[in-house]
Amino acid sequence: MKNRLRILRAERSWSQADLAQRLEVSRQSVNAIETGKFDPSLPLAFKLARLFNTSIETIFSDEE
Amino acid sequence: MLCDPGSKAGRRYLYRLIPMSVVYIAVVYLSKWSFRHFHPTGLVVYLLAILPALPMVGSLAIVGLYVAEETDEFERSILVRSILWGLAAALAISSIWGTLEDFAQARHLSSFLSYLSFWIVMAISGVIIRLRYR
Repeated sequence: MKNRLRILRAERSWSQADLAQRLEVSRQSVNAIETGKFDPSLPLAFKLARLFNTSIETIFSDEE
Repeated sequence: MLCDPGSKAGRRYLYRLIPMSVVYIAVVYLSKWSFRHFHPTGLVVYLLAILPALPMVGSLAIVGLYVAEETDEFERSILVRSILWGLAAALAISSIWGTLEDFAQARHLSSFLSYLSFWIVMAISGVIIRLRYR
């Protein structure tokens, strides 16, 4: 699943570790989601959307 | 590393597993020492024999607790897949060796080795799975 996490993170000058801390997950988790290797659950996707003050669809797209 | 030592659940896992491993080593030595020096009989034989298995079962429960307590779903998914690889390997090895014992008169091996193979394969697969996400 494609996502815009890297862009959204860059807009806020957050490192992967910063985002991981805000999400209360490991940095490896953020990296795995960002690179599209791991699809987050719906609760984590909502958490991401709330954190970036946007919708889930803005962050994730179901394109391969 | 099988767990994420940075998470609360990961730290709890280590704080539980390390003392349990120490208890296991102590109990193994206690059992062996008791058999060698007291030559127990009857029910005591069974009690002393089963004693080292209790921390082994406890360590499996600790792994289960970690799965239940880890809130980081990515870390949990790595652990669960490692557990599945460990279980599959333990069952495969004991099944293959079982048929070799039954039909090819292979040397009898202790079923304790299933437990050992579970941990070894779980640890190795955890590292391999983690490498895939680098």
